[in-house]
Amino acid sequence: MYASVMRCSVMLMCFNLTACDGLITSKPNPSGIVYCSEGSPTGFNPQLDTSGTTVDASSHQVYDRLLDFDPLSGNVLLGLASSWEISEDGLRYTFQLRKNVEFHHTAYFTPSREFNAEDVIFSFDRWRLLDHPYHFVSGGAYPYVDSLSLDKLIVSINRINDYRVEFILNKPQSSFLANLATDFAVILSAEYGEKLLESHQQERIDNFPVGTGPYKFVSFRQDSYVRYVRNDNYWQPLRLTEKLIFDITPSSSLRFAKLITGECDAIGLPAHSELDIIRQSKGLVLDEKPGLNVGFWAFNTAKPPFDKAEVRRALAMAVDKNALIEAIYFDSAVPAKNIVPPTSWAFQAEQKGISYNPSGAKKLLTDNGIKPGFTMEIWAMPVERAYNPNAIKMAELIQGYLQAVGVKVDIVSFEWSTFRERLKQGIHDSVLIGWSADNGDPDNFYRPLLSCGAIKSGTNRAFWCSPEYDVLINQALQFTSIEDRQYFYFKANDLIAEQVPLLPIAHASKYQAFRSELKGFEINALGGVKFAGVVKD
Amino acid sequence: MSRFNLYQEEFHPSPLQHTWLEFRENHIAVVGLLCFLFFVIVIVLCPILAPYNPLTQNIDAILIPPAWDDNGGIMNLFGTDALGRDLLSRVMYGCRMTFGISILLVLVAMIIGVTLGAIAGMSKGVRSSVVNHTLDSVMAIPTLLIAIIIIAIVGTGLVNSMWAIVLALTPQFIHHTRDFVKQERKKEYVMAAKLDGATPLQIVTRSILPNMGEILVVQGTLALSIAILDISALGFLNLGAQPPSPELGTMLSEGIEVAYIAPWSIALPGFAIFLMMISINLVGDGLRSALRNRLLH
Amino acid sequence: MNKVLLRYTNLVVLTLLVLSFFSFMLAYLFPGDVLANLSGVQQHDPANLEQLKARYQLDSNIFVQYWYYLMDLYRGDWGQSFSSGLPLYEEVARTLPASIELSTYALLVSFAVGLPLGFIAGLRHHRNTDYALLSMSVLGYSIPVFWLAMILILTFALQLGWFPLSGRISLLYEIPRVSGFILLDIVWSDVSNKSEVLLDAFRHLILPTLSIAAFTTTVILRITRRSVIETMNSDYIQAAYARGLNARQVLFRHGIRNAIMPILPLLAMQFTTLLTNAMIVEVIFSWPGIGNWLIQAIYQRDFPAIRVGMLAVSALVVIFTMTIDLGIRLIDPKKSKVERVAI
Repeated sequence: MYASVMRCSVMLMCFNLTACDGLITSKPNPSGIVYCSEGSPTGFNPQLDTSGTTVDASSHQVYDRLLDFDPLSGNVLLGLASSWEISEDGLRYTFQLRKNVEFHHTAYFTPSREFNAEDVIFSFDRWRLLDHPYHFVSGGAYPYVDSLSLDKLIVSINRINDYRVEFILNKPQSSFLANLATDFAVILSAEYGEKLLESHQQERIDNFPVGTGPYKFVSFRQDSYVRYVRNDNYWQPLRLTEKLIFDITPSSSLRFAKLITGECDAIGLPAHSELDIIRQSKGLVLDEKPGLNVGFWAFNTAKPPFDKAEVRRALAMAVDKNALIEAIYFDSAVPAKNIVPPTSWAFQAEQKGISYNPSGAKKLLTDNGIKPGFTMEIWAMPVERAYNPNAIKMAELIQGYLQAVGVKVDIVSFEWSTFRERLKQGIHDSVLIGWSADNGDPDNFYRPLLSCGAIKSGTNRAFWCSPEYDVLINQALQFTSIEDRQYFYFKANDLIAEQVPLLPIAHASKYQAFRSELKGFEINALGGVKFAGVVKD
Repeated sequence: MSRFNLYQEEFHPSPLQHTWLEFRENHIAVVGLLCFLFFVIVIVLCPILAPYNPLTQNIDAILIPPAWDDNGGIMNLFGTDALGRDLLSRVMYGCRMTFGISILLVLVAMIIGVTLGAIAGMSKGVRSSVVNHTLDSVMAIPTLLIAIIIIAIVGTGLVNSMWAIVLALTPQFIHHTRDFVKQERKKEYVMAAKLDGATPLQIVTRSILPNMGEILVVQGTLALSIAILDISALGFLNLGAQPPSPELGTMLSEGIEVAYIAPWSIALPGFAIFLMMISINLVGDGLRSALRNRLLH
Repeated sequence: MNKVLLRYTNLVVLTLLVLSFFSFMLAYLFPGDVLANLSGVQQHDPANLEQLKARYQLDSNIFVQYWYYLMDLYRGDWGQSFSSGLPLYEEVARTLPASIELSTYALLVSFAVGLPLGFIAGLRHHRNTDYALLSMSVLGYSIPVFWLAMILILTFALQLGWFPLSGRISLLYEIPRVSGFILLDIVWSDVSNKSEVLLDAFRHLILPTLSIAAFTTTVILRITRRSVIETMNSDYIQAAYARGLNARQVLFRHGIRNAIMPILPLLAMQFTTLLTNAMIVEVIFSWPGIGNWLIQAIYQRDFPAIRVGMLAVSALVVIFTMTIDLGIRLIDPKKSKVERVAI
């Protein structure tokens, strides 16, 4: 009697086996590229947020800039501007704009005119002028330009004709052109802005973006995906794929797994522990470039006892930086001597870092009145960044080191946006975080990280304000020759090494992993990921 | 029993002995019991047995494969995890935490459940019917779901998850006690006690509950397997025990990060849960069929 | 019969009322502002605040507030999520079908495998086949579902590369949501390469379905086996043999029906277990279902989402079990309720 039952199940299994053939052979879908990104963007306007996730999702996909960086040499190239002129005194920059550039035709907006000078003025005035109708839209904070005080630098932006604009500065600044090429200097559509103003939907400008870039925004679902389609009218003759999808996958191991199964064509921020496997795997490519970044441990110098340089130095001495690099970066980073990486010309090879010396640290701590059993907080980022792939693990290791010198450590971590918000309030004792540069100019490290002005804009995590330091980095900008500027930056380096507002830990390389079917995918050392010109064979 | 009997004397085992004799016949169940005892020994003696402290990190020994692997070493029998902690020690302490806490939870749930169940069983009328219906609907919901909902309300953490699981486990003890008390109440020995003038409390504690031992043990093993599964599932989902505490589910979720390069870091903790579950289920199965056989004969 | 129907309707309505009141109270019990917990709006614009206050009747007594809350629930106006700002009704309507779909397929698989195997084991009672199946079933219901899912991923997705490991369908395909059940939606949609898309959806389904079906299959196997043993030992089966029917006739005319009928509701009850296991497995496979969504909400302390998610899941489970209970009563009025047997 069970024979028939058996026969039934055997037949079922046979059916399954024949079906399996079709099921298990996957073929890559050529109609689009899936990029697995590490988090949800907070919006689609890089002016509003310095986080790499937001920049990746908007800056080079939806928008263009007046100028661009050459991804290989880091030199400034032409973007939406077709040429530029600088006056003798270095105060007037004139840009000739490209013609026949169309804004995106999307389901929510149809442009009636092409890109012109109005759009440039609109985009810059938004963050520059407090009375601009869009200035306070979506929070009204522009951390990048604030940290560099660009809004104070520009006196006015004038339209000369439809395709010509001039920028008037109040003092010469050697890094100005580079700043215009960063991820944050994107060009929005003035016409779209006016239309939204009429319908009282200003916030949509940052959530339903319209730009001139290679891909048009289609839809976004928090923590799941962002969809883009090809901009058929793109002004640059680049190969574009029909669909571009950001598959938001916060866990690095899951991103890696999806790369292996082919669910992602490329992934952002591969975990350092998996780099070797990606290198060895057939069909996967690992691209590597020295990154323009620094991961550091910042002490809140506004909070006693961290206001004493000796205490900060002692804590820094208690930690073995090389061991951290080995455990966290798997030797894919160089130990940091100062805040600028070795590729920068402000880097001083001969400078001495703080060396690991637990007994010295213990003595220094006791001398400064820190008794054994002193408890401090280390805030650790909940997300991975190129400059620190696992801050929580690093905090756990530091916890171990500090225990050896009699300091107890509580590790604090919140969800990423809450974390940054609370960090801004300055209630932390110390924090493990870092900085990725957006252009090759060293000012991009010195000013946002430690200048007094950067406390307000929230990028100075050490809350360190030294007038002497500010004078040095301001003077450096008055000169154009590298030798002259080096003089000031080297002095600033010495000041940082002496005061230890933060302990620079490592400069990590930037990695990008992708499947070999993907052609034309390059690491953008300066800023966000770029999909123009990338196709799948 | 198969012993040679010199005299034609009849052997009358007590019910408990009878159950044990039936249980002993089932070899697989006995293996399960031995395995169970092994775990009990591990969790009691793990401070002595474990070679390392489960929380001590060793940066020089990160992700060492287990000893049976070509690259493994004898220093770390089960290898190490991403922070260089010895996996053998962590699994041992993990068993202690997962298994130990589960036993505790089952005991607490049992005490609460039996008390409430006895009260419900002795009461009549509307109150009893309300309890009936509420229990039936609650019992239909899987305990893990109840636990997740409770955690959603009170927040994550080991202590919260323990409360949640106790709350989720209690209804079945109430249910079984109530049914049992109801059923026994009609029997003559209870009637006899009643005629002797025993109060309801005395009837329950002196007459009925002593007969419930076996049912409670069977129900307890069932609840224990559920508790282990739930506490490790909550740990796995990061809703229960938080890292770095060596809870098996939490260890699994930590291991995911390195699952591809260090499969042992998810294989071993998972296998420990699996083995624990098998041993408990085998014992439970064996007990149930032993009871069933005893009642049949 | 009408009386039973009426009683059950009453019971369901009452339970739902209790659940909804509980979820309403959660807005008060959760930390933070009641208004924010109810509406999901966190901004502090005074004009807006007054409007919201009036809408939720926060100045009236608690029962009036509850009444308005109920009306809102009925209208599908469930507030919005803290973290994404999306309306919660839509979120639940998006995620719940995904979980139900996964659980249903897993239930079908469990039936397709568990029932025949249970019959085989029951018919070969106390023989090697029975022992082998029984031991396998112990393994099956001892294995933690999340571990099984991870092992399946490691072998079939990462090592062999046969199946994808996340989501319901490749993101490159865009299927408009009609019913929320992906296979139906694909069939109804007007995409050009339908068979290709269907195949892709199938490939995504296989691993999660298998991981949650394993447990239920073994439970069904064991319940069926016990029922078959009891049925085949009963008098009427012996009588049937005595009348000269052969084994096959006895099994197909008397055995199957009588063995399955009493346990059918019990088997259907496995759906709730499946749903719970699906909630865990969803997290591992990034399946966009209610479990994944609710657990993310717990991580992010998204109170409005927790409140609504908890209500949706518990209401679904309660309605489901009560419907099954009712079905049994209607079919077999003698039976008082589903006996929950030990497996």
